[in-house]
Amino acid sequence: MKEMEQKLQNEAKALLEQGKVDYIIGFEPGSLKFTTTPLITRDKNDVGRMVIDSFIVNNLADFLTELKGRVGIVAKGCDSRSIVSLIQDNKIARENVVILGVPCAGIIDLGKVEKLIGKDRDELDDIGREGDKVVITADGKTSEFLITEVLFDNCLGCELPTPQEYDILLGEPTLPVVDKTVSQKKIEQLKEMAPEQRWDFWKSEFSRCIRCYACRNVCPACFCERCFVEETEPQWLMPLPRWQDNLMFQVIRNIHVAGRCTDCGECERACPVNIPLRSLTKEMYDIVGELFHFKTGMDIDTLPLMTHYEQEEAEDFIR
Amino acid sequence: MANKKINKKDTGKLLTEWSKEFTVLVPSREGDSSKMARWDGMDTSFLEWYRNTVIPSKACPFPPMEAIFHFHKDSDGYQLEVPALDKQKQLIFGIRPCDANALAILDKVFEDAYEDTYYLSRRKNTLLVGLGCTNPYESCFCTSLGSGPADSANVDIMLADIGDEFSIEPITEAGKELVAKTNGLEEATEADDTRTKEAKEASYQKVTRKIDVKNTADKLLACFENEEYWEKVAAKCISCGICTLLCPTCYCFDINDELVKKQGTRFRSWDSCGFSSYTKMPMENPRGEKWRRVRQKVCHKYEFYPMNFDVIACTGCGRCIRLCPVNWDITQTLNSLPSKT
Amino acid sequence: MRQEPEWEPKLLGFLCKWCSYAGADLAGTSRKKYPASIRAIKVPCSGRVDPLFILKALRLGFDGVLVSGCHPGDCHYQTGNYRARRRMAITKKFLEYMGVEPQRIQASWVSASEGGKFAEVITEVTKGLKEVGPNRLFADERDGTEATERG
Repeated sequence: MKEMEQKLQNEAKALLEQGKVDYIIGFEPGSLKFTTTPLITRDKNDVGRMVIDSFIVNNLADFLTELKGRVGIVAKGCDSRSIVSLIQDNKIARENVVILGVPCAGIIDLGKVEKLIGKDRDELDDIGREGDKVVITADGKTSEFLITEVLFDNCLGCELPTPQEYDILLGEPTLPVVDKTVSQKKIEQLKEMAPEQRWDFWKSEFSRCIRCYACRNVCPACFCERCFVEETEPQWLMPLPRWQDNLMFQVIRNIHVAGRCTDCGECERACPVNIPLRSLTKEMYDIVGELFHFKTGMDIDTLPLMTHYEQEEAEDFIR
Repeated sequence: MANKKINKKDTGKLLTEWSKEFTVLVPSREGDSSKMARWDGMDTSFLEWYRNTVIPSKACPFPPMEAIFHFHKDSDGYQLEVPALDKQKQLIFGIRPCDANALAILDKVFEDAYEDTYYLSRRKNTLLVGLGCTNPYESCFCTSLGSGPADSANVDIMLADIGDEFSIEPITEAGKELVAKTNGLEEATEADDTRTKEAKEASYQKVTRKIDVKNTADKLLACFENEEYWEKVAAKCISCGICTLLCPTCYCFDINDELVKKQGTRFRSWDSCGFSSYTKMPMENPRGEKWRRVRQKVCHKYEFYPMNFDVIACTGCGRCIRLCPVNWDITQTLNSLPSKT
Repeated sequence: MRQEPEWEPKLLGFLCKWCSYAGADLAGTSRKKYPASIRAIKVPCSGRVDPLFILKALRLGFDGVLVSGCHPGDCHYQTGNYRARRRMAITKKFLEYMGVEPQRIQASWVSASEGGKFAEVITEVTKGLKEVGPNRLFADERDGTEATERG
C-alpha cells in the first residue's frame, strides 16, 4: 500500500499543479488511533499527507454533490460505483471528476476488533495486516486473527474491489476477500424469524435512534437538497425520535435510494447508536438485484434503476 | 464528614438500598449503545464495561423528546393540559465529571430569563453520584477545561475506584445526608484516603489530549470573518447531528405540534445547529452554508456562551470526536486558530 | 349491553384517474357489490404514487393500501405505470422482509372498462385484510397510542 500512497501523492500533486482539478479529495491520518479522515484540499502542499491503508473507510463520493468545480477523488471499488451512480443520475458530470482508483482489499471494522479482543480501540497498541492475517497487539500481548474475522460485513460481500471506471488506477487490481456467509449472517438470521418477530426487532432497534441523520448525510445516494423529513406541507413524519417515526424514516430512505446504494456500509458504521442499518440496505440491494438483475454503478452507460423499465417484468404480485 | 468506602461486590446492595428512596439510574446497555437508564434491580455488570455512556446524562433532566402539553378543542375553545411535573427523586449512579459539569453548564441557560420548569424540576430532584475515571478515552480532554477525571465540583457524592473498593466522598449537603443514613458502608482509613488521592492523580495523567483555552474567545473573535479559514475547517463535515445531539452541553430543541383530529400534543425534541435547515426561514437561511454552521458551533461553545455565562460550553468529554463519522476534531481546530491577518 | 360493531378493514386506494378510478365508477354504476372498505384517492397516474404514501397510510392506521393503475402499455402518460410497477415491487418485498403482512400492500391493473374486476379486487383484498386483522404496526404496546416521552 505504500507504493499506492506514493503514486497517489504524485498524481494528486500533478493534478493540482496542472490545474486539471480544483479539489483533491482523499484520506489523511485521523486524530484517533486506527482512523483516517477525509482530506479535501486545493493546496498541493497538503497531498503529502495522503494515505491508503486498511482504515480508509469513508465513501468520499458523498462530497461530490456539494463541491463546485472539478474534483480528483480517491475511490475504492464501492466508492467508484457511487460515483458512477451519481453520473448516471446526472448529478455530476464525468468530465468534472478524475477518479483515482484504489484496488481495495477490504477495510478493517474496529467494532469487530473490539469484540474479538474485548478492549476498546484506544486501548490497543497496534493493528497490523499481514497477508490474510491480522495481528493485534494490546498490553504487550499479540493475537492473530484471519482477515475475514475483522473486515466489515459489506467488504466480505464485496462485488467490486477494484474500480472499473477510473482515470488513474493506483495499483494492481485486487481480488476481493469474501465470506458471503458472514456477510449475510445478520440478514439470514432475520429471515429465519417470524414476521412479527422481525417487526419487533426493528421496533426495538429504532427505539434508540436519535435522528442524527448521519446515515442519510454520509450516503452519497442521499443528495436531495430538501429531504422528505423536512417537508411540512404535508408533514410525512414528525421530527421526534420515537421508534415509529425513526423506523418510517429509515424505511423510506431505503426505498428512495434503491438502485443507488452500493453497499458501502457507511450508514451502519456512522450510526452512533449502532443500529444494524446494513441489514436493511443490503436486503434492498439484493431485492433490486433479484427482481431487476441490477447492480448499482457497474456501467456508466446503464440507466438508473428507477427511471428504467422493461416491457415485461416482475408483476406476479399485481392483480 | 469522613469518607466511606464499599467493596465493589456490594454495589448491588448499595443500589438496592438507595432504590428505596430514589429511582436509581445506572449506565445501561441499549443494544450496542449505552445510556443512563433505570437500574433493573440486579445487573451490576456495567462496572466491567463502563467508561462513558454514548447518550450523555443531559437526557435525564432534558430527554430527547417530551410532551410539553396536550390540547383539545371543545365548545369553550382550546383547553390545555400540562403533564404533571416529575416529582420522583432520581439518583444517577456513576455519572462522570464531564457529564456532571455539563449539567451545571446547562443549568445556566435553563434558569436564565425564563425558568424551564420541565428541566429544572427533574434537575432539582436528581442526586448525582459521580464516579472518577480510571480509563479516560484518547478523545477526552477534560483537564484542559479546568476539570479532570476526578473532578467532584458538580456532584453530590464522589466515588473513586481504589481497586476492589470504591471510596465514597460526600460533597454537598444532600450528599452528606444520604451517606449518613446509608447502611453497609465502611469507614475509610487513612490508607484508603491515600489510595483515593493517588488514584485521582494517576487518572489526570491519563488524559493525553490537550487544548489551550487561554484567549480562545479572543482568537475566535479575531478570525470570525475569515471565510476561507472556516471553509477549510468545515470541508469534511457532513452536517449530521451527532456531535451536537450527543454533546452533554448542547441544548437546542425543536417544538412541534402533533394533531390528531381535534386534539394534539406539543412536543419538544433535541435539535441540532448542524442541520442544514436549522436556521431555515421562509425568506432566507442565514446558515445555509456549511462553514457558517461549523463556525457557529465552535464559537457558541468557546466564545458566545462564555460571554453570556462565564463558562465554556464544553467539558471535554470527547464524544464529538469519538463518534463523528468523518473524525472532525474540535481540538484540532481550537489548537490551530489563526490570527486575523 | 352494547354490541361492539364487527371490525371492518380500512383500505386506502390510490386509483389512477384515467383507468382505475374510472373502473371504480363503472363498478358503481353497474351496481357491482363489493365491501365498503376502500377510501379512494384519485391520482393522475399510478406513477404518482411514492412509496412514502404507502408508509404514511400504514402509519395513519389504514389496514391496507392498494395502488391501482392502467395495464402496462395503456398508461395515459405512456410510462407512468411502469415506474409504479418497479416501485411497488421493491416496496412490497422490502416491507415483507421487515415484517409487514404481505396482504397489506396490494397492487392491481384495472382499466376503465373493468368495473367487474375492480369489485373483485376490492373483495379479495378486503378478505385478505380481514384475515390479518387490524393494523397495529405502529401502535405502542403500553397504551395503544404513541409515546409522548422518551428518556
